[in-house]
Amino acid sequence: MFRRYQPKENVQKKAYYTDRFLVVPEIPKNPVEDSVSLSHIDAVSKSVNIIESYMQRDNVVMIVDAKDAKPALALLKDQGYKVLTEMSAVDWLAKKGGFEVFYQLLNIKAAKRIRVKCFIKENEAIESVEPLFRSADWSEREMYDMFGIKVNNHPNLKRILLPEDWHDYPLRKTYPLHGDEAANWYEVDLIYGKEYRDVIGPEQRDAAYVDENDTKNFARIGHEVGYGEQPTRNLTPIRYQEEGGVPLVKKMKPEETKIRADKSWNK
Amino acid sequence: MQQPNRLAPFYENLAFEREDDRMIINFGPNHPSAHGLLNLILELSGEEIVKAYPNVGFLHRGMEKMAENMIYNEFLPTTDRMDYVAASANNYGFALAVEKLVGLEVPRRAKVIRMLLLELNRLASHLFWLATHALDIGAMSVFLYAFREREYVLDLIEDYCGARLTHSSVRIGGVPLDVTPEWRKAMAEFMAHLPNEITMYENLLDTNRIWRMRLEEVGYLDPEIAQSWGCSGIMLRGSGIQWDIRKEEPYELYDEVDFDIPTSDKCDSYGRYKLYMEEMRQSIRIINQVLGMYEGTEPALMAHAPQYVSAPKEQIMTQNYSLMQHFVLVTQGMRPPVGDIYVGTESPKGELGYYIYSDGEAYPYRLKIRAPSFYHTGLLQDWLPGSYLADVVTMIGSSNTVFGEVDR
Amino acid sequence: MAQHEVNYLQKGGLPIMLTTVDKLVNWGRSNSLWFFTFGLACCAIEMMASGAGRFDFDRYGIIFRASPRQSEVMVISGTVTKKYAPFIRRLYDQMAEPKWVVSMGSCANTGGMFNTYSTVQGVDRIIPVDIYLPGCAPRPETLQYAALMLQQKIRSESINRKISTKRFI
Repeated sequence: MFRRYQPKENVQKKAYYTDRFLVVPEIPKNPVEDSVSLSHIDAVSKSVNIIESYMQRDNVVMIVDAKDAKPALALLKDQGYKVLTEMSAVDWLAKKGGFEVFYQLLNIKAAKRIRVKCFIKENEAIESVEPLFRSADWSEREMYDMFGIKVNNHPNLKRILLPEDWHDYPLRKTYPLHGDEAANWYEVDLIYGKEYRDVIGPEQRDAAYVDENDTKNFARIGHEVGYGEQPTRNLTPIRYQEEGGVPLVKKMKPEETKIRADKSWNK
Repeated sequence: MQQPNRLAPFYENLAFEREDDRMIINFGPNHPSAHGLLNLILELSGEEIVKAYPNVGFLHRGMEKMAENMIYNEFLPTTDRMDYVAASANNYGFALAVEKLVGLEVPRRAKVIRMLLLELNRLASHLFWLATHALDIGAMSVFLYAFREREYVLDLIEDYCGARLTHSSVRIGGVPLDVTPEWRKAMAEFMAHLPNEITMYENLLDTNRIWRMRLEEVGYLDPEIAQSWGCSGIMLRGSGIQWDIRKEEPYELYDEVDFDIPTSDKCDSYGRYKLYMEEMRQSIRIINQVLGMYEGTEPALMAHAPQYVSAPKEQIMTQNYSLMQHFVLVTQGMRPPVGDIYVGTESPKGELGYYIYSDGEAYPYRLKIRAPSFYHTGLLQDWLPGSYLADVVTMIGSSNTVFGEVDR
Repeated sequence: MAQHEVNYLQKGGLPIMLTTVDKLVNWGRSNSLWFFTFGLACCAIEMMASGAGRFDFDRYGIIFRASPRQSEVMVISGTVTKKYAPFIRRLYDQMAEPKWVVSMGSCANTGGMFNTYSTVQGVDRIIPVDIYLPGCAPRPETLQYAALMLQQKIRSESINRKISTKRFI
């Protein structure tokens, strides 16, 4: 008769009410109707085994096996898809045990786009398409940086967006948003050393933290007092200069300000 | 009195004259002309660059991971901070991607207002580009003039949505606010005033000997390399390739307005500079046409899709079910159908694309942002060798990179 | 209060002279602050706009210098990431005394909206800060008000100033 009690500590982690009868529809996957894209896909299917190809809301998608990704891209490049707009991965480690890598291609002459998707298992490495498209140089590095997917025959597989000595791969679902311990203390360890961790103190990650009596951080906007002094309820007076003014500097008086009626300040 | 710290002394970054007469220097992350946080490690032979290695990531804020924990509407202000020079363009790209994912139909008045905002942001971005590029080359007065025009644009945007820099002016399903007749009048006045200013900048710079010497024949970008690196926007059009997403895959009302796409065959920085000036004029042309399209539109600003988009404010305040639906949408978020989508729009920097993979939850399962400046910065690896050190500044400026986008 | 007569002129007038010297030096320092252009992200655009024609900074004597060795005030404008933190510390150390730090915008104050793995939650974890500016991005007038507040703070200091060690030993 009673609704089961759900503990409320981590309510922000997910929408705390999920409708268990809700079935979210899927975007319909239609067969590819566009003749130009269809001809390109057919040209590819002659040498590469295409698992599936469909169109979802006017995005043409082609699913291939992981080892066929590079040959498929080479064939598409011959068809005119000379621009690799982006490539990255989606983390399905928990549900399917691997990553889904996608490549987004653009054909400028025919003004068509196509997406090539493939699935790789957790510790599998993928072949680099950098010889075909130079932009894969950086895209694959970013994919490695964020997910840990190794890329074979890449000219320079190093971390690109994070420091070189970062631990773990952030965009995996198992990595916490606020970072693990190595991440939380990264800058303190690097600049000052581990001994200063208690001098500087842990990070303040709670976005809603408010302490009325704290005058060492700047939380008391409008009622500022000196560092460490007693908090007061007096409003800090807004003044642009000291009362007596500063020698040789024009004294700014609030009474002398003119408020322009019109917004056009240059007229 | 120095605070004790463990950072190694400074000179480890420089390796002077090795045996083969080459010097490695750091075009450091903190540089007045680096347009943000770009650490470019250059290997020089005399003044000529032999190898270049761009080191980015100094502004990586983890936006893609943030998106996996935020509902779609909540993430929209975060997109402002990517290309922070033209914030509405990023908002719009994200809103368009979600709208396509869900299948929303945006009302016409919202489309008109969105187009006005987009083109206004394009002007703001190009003016900023001109200001900083000229400042780097040395024309400091152009910096002040272009910022003066930019203040006009920011005033208009501030009148509309309240913020100068981080707008969040475009929402999923439409726009939140309507434009007043006074605002449209101020826009029309500004559009009448701006072409003369652009002509003044061109008169200052076009035939200026120093400007031409520093920009012509500098930064020759081969079209094949540009395509291979995934360049977009003016980097492609400056190399002769006619590709503008507004013409090829039109969104909003771009197929109803009349405008040209300037391209340049010269492939150098001077050609790109002329393209930016020409694009500003085309933006003015678009805005003048769109301002006329406002009359006669129905006063609907957000799409009518109760499952995904809240009702207008008047209904929320008076109708009970609208209030309940709004509450649910704000606290739990809307749930788009399962599937993935990629949408690319023409932001002032190039092709800004969003790839959203939704698994039916209120949070995107994966959001990948395709930032044009990311690839333009990677391009520096292949593009810089062969030029001189003084040209590095010109080429970085000419590629119009913004580091909020590169690192996200 | 006049129970004992204090002869201020007995040591050659040293305490009075020091106060006047204090005032003179602080007057000079506060009216010609040279800022270090430390633009990181969006707030850098507002900093540039506040130095441009409409919200002029030059009228306060504030000039933007690109080198840390020639500047006095470091305005941290933008998000501080963990990859960039050692550079900030190094640049702060390279500035000569006297130096002040203004933390501009939410990202520099506390990490701002980016409560993620790679953002330093407040630049005052790495360097001592004098003035914090709220806003995202703060308006140019806010930055100018912060400059004026910094001037008032400098004028109330003594010239034998120690670094305000807020968090470090």
